[in-house]
Amino acid sequence: MLQREQIAPGVHLNTIEADKFNRCRISLHFRFPASKEKATEHALLPLVLERGYADCPDMTQFSRQLARLYGASLSVETHMQGATRVISIAVSGIKDRFALQGENLSAAYAQIAFGVAFRPYLEEGLFSQEAVQIEKDTLARQLESEKNDKRLYCVRQARRHFFGNHPAGVERDGYLSQVSAITPASLTQTYQDMLEQAELDVICMGASQQEVRELLQQSLASIHRKPAQLLRQSFIDAKPLEHLEEQMDLAQAKLCMMFTADRCVNPEEMAVFRMAMSVFGGSSTSRLFLNVREKQSLCYYCSCRFVSSTAMMMVDSGVEPKDAERAEQAILEQLHQLMSGEITAQEMEDNRRSVLSGLMAVEDSLAGLENWYYTEILRGGAICTPQQAAQAVQNVTAEQIQGALAGFHYQLGYLITQPREDMTHD
Amino acid sequence: MTKKPTQTMEQVIGCECVQLENGLTVLVRPMPGYSSIHAIYGTRFGSTDTHFRLNGTEMQLPAGVAHFLEHKMFESEAGDAFLEFAKTGANANAYTSFDKTCYLFTATDQVDESLDILLGMVNQPYFTPQTIQKEQGIIGQEIKMYEDTPDWRMITSLLSCLYHNHPIRQDIAGTVDSIAQITPEMLYDCCKAFYQPGNMVLAVAGNVTMAQVLDACERANLPATQCQVERIPPQEPTQVACPHMEYAMELASPCLGVGFKEAPVEGAKAEVICDMLTELICGGMTDFYRKLYDEGLVNPGFGGEFITLDGCCCFLFTGETEHPKEVRGLLLEEIERLRQQGVDEEIFTLCKNQTYGEVLQELENVEDAATALAGSFFRKRKLEEDLEALASVTKQEVDAALQRMLKPENSSTVIIWPKEEEE
Repeated sequence: MLQREQIAPGVHLNTIEADKFNRCRISLHFRFPASKEKATEHALLPLVLERGYADCPDMTQFSRQLARLYGASLSVETHMQGATRVISIAVSGIKDRFALQGENLSAAYAQIAFGVAFRPYLEEGLFSQEAVQIEKDTLARQLESEKNDKRLYCVRQARRHFFGNHPAGVERDGYLSQVSAITPASLTQTYQDMLEQAELDVICMGASQQEVRELLQQSLASIHRKPAQLLRQSFIDAKPLEHLEEQMDLAQAKLCMMFTADRCVNPEEMAVFRMAMSVFGGSSTSRLFLNVREKQSLCYYCSCRFVSSTAMMMVDSGVEPKDAERAEQAILEQLHQLMSGEITAQEMEDNRRSVLSGLMAVEDSLAGLENWYYTEILRGGAICTPQQAAQAVQNVTAEQIQGALAGFHYQLGYLITQPREDMTHD
Repeated sequence: MTKKPTQTMEQVIGCECVQLENGLTVLVRPMPGYSSIHAIYGTRFGSTDTHFRLNGTEMQLPAGVAHFLEHKMFESEAGDAFLEFAKTGANANAYTSFDKTCYLFTATDQVDESLDILLGMVNQPYFTPQTIQKEQGIIGQEIKMYEDTPDWRMITSLLSCLYHNHPIRQDIAGTVDSIAQITPEMLYDCCKAFYQPGNMVLAVAGNVTMAQVLDACERANLPATQCQVERIPPQEPTQVACPHMEYAMELASPCLGVGFKEAPVEGAKAEVICDMLTELICGGMTDFYRKLYDEGLVNPGFGGEFITLDGCCCFLFTGETEHPKEVRGLLLEEIERLRQQGVDEEIFTLCKNQTYGEVLQELENVEDAATALAGSFFRKRKLEEDLEALASVTKQEVDAALQRMLKPENSSTVIIWPKEEEE
């Protein structure tokens, strides 16, 4: 269960019980409105912050410091949640009781997490020129090599066209065209803006809540907080269906289908959408898995997922190039059958058990707990426990699932496939 | 590490072990406070087990049979095991590697029923020409998916360069042509040979007791080991099969792989040393990695791994780089420097520290804990033995290993170029 207390405007300390785990974890999540103009600086910040901090500026020495703490792990990452960008700094490592020399490990983890977040290594008040240049080059290479993972590339391309210029379409990793203009001064300013304007949630799991609270208060003492307004939910208006195709030399084509609910989805509706995704294509008992993959052998993978912050559903599949159109039709056929035909009692119960099993397992991992509660925080409204979510799932009916699926509008089919002349037909 | 950790680690590992009369090894790690359980039913039958004698009759399998069998095992005369698992709410899956096949599920409810399905599906195989033909289509698509994945193409290319005959050089899933040769009889023979309890492990971790798991084994009424199986090791020369390979595929930046073929190693300490060597050469704590990273010579993710199986051991260093030939040269130079000067004492000690933390982390989640237990069966030793080896290994032993291993004359290099940049 989560305990949440406000420490400052837009700043909360969240404590989650984690007695049964061997490790503890302290994480800081900064969230603020996504900006296309600043997207690349926001993507670059984690790379620069992760290199070191005021107490340990050297990247290699920093790696050794973490290894000295029995392989404690530091991650500094960014992700998009609808029109909100999140930058997360997390340190996890084994609990004090396992320390071979009696070290106070959890205090060291907290010092590192807060050090990276609030006391980065600066030279004359700015991020180091050398570090910024190295990480700019790394980010540029990362952006250039996007095509190496064909599945992910297809999803990203589909997302780009689906969202267009909507704030939810801001690129998590930024834009190659913006990289060269970034300077230590501009990046430092963006970092300072984040400290002042982001909402901050600190999540403490298995470490001393008192120590973390004190560090948080000390860290905030010199910052003038003025949190920015967040757009918690958004959606893409329904528009006519569009098909886009990209050709490249590959063995298996990738098809990504994007749907909009054309309205905001309330947190109270999550149970219905969890069940709807499981029945349609989110489980091994789903229509897509059993019919499109197993019975019709039209794709190797084929699954759906729903993103509540943008009310978007995506079906992602790997298909034989020559079967791409048939696979798309088969996927739509399954959706239509679900909306208009019968969902059997057996199907309902099988999927309900699967969803409930997933919800009950949330509390069996640090990552599961953290993801669950931070997603609840991001969604806004009352924070729901996995048990409460499970209770809501118990009450979902087949008619509610049909209603939820019927609300989706197919917007975009994005296909990456072989050049037409390379395709072979049976 | 100054304290001997195994005293407390035995309690931390908390693994209970029973070997049944029929030969099955049962490993259980009860985890109080957890809601879920993770169960793995695994056999020592992987993609490299292609040549053996079954009750005196020699058998040579085409590539990909173990993986194909894994897919087919979910199907019985009564129906699909996924549907059976759906009735219990369990989330089931399976995987095949070079030396094992594992069937697994995670569940929070109806654990006994899920264990019955798991043990039942693996012990009641059902294959027909029709079901095999259907699976050939599905697996054919899986093979094609991997063909588009540069990381996987790199690993298979490197292994095919290092080895002349060892079946590790073949893709785990085989090829469209090799799986076309599979017959029901072939699959039944493999079940007889490798799905005998004596060759298998049932590892369970989480909200479960040993008594509960043993009851499930009793209900399953597993037959005792009956067949005689003798694996026929491949004749593998010590030299690499092909020292250099380059080709192009649809990707954005070039990929480099440098592999080293070694004499097979045995025992926990030898494996600990090999594992540490990759970290000591180009891990995140080394100045060498820092140079590659800061000079923009490699992308994040460049690193080394080692693979050990019966009759084979190799190191693979792989990653994306715009300068594959330069990075290869620098890697070989760094290995030679360490061979001359010895590994860094500080990093060596920190590697030991780090590995200790990783072991504790592996025991934290039900999935990782069950995987660690099953892994100990496949490595033929207790988890505690790995920790003892870790605690006792010395820098001198690592330096001595470097005198024998990672020699340029035993290496192969693979470069995958983006299509338009092929040289």
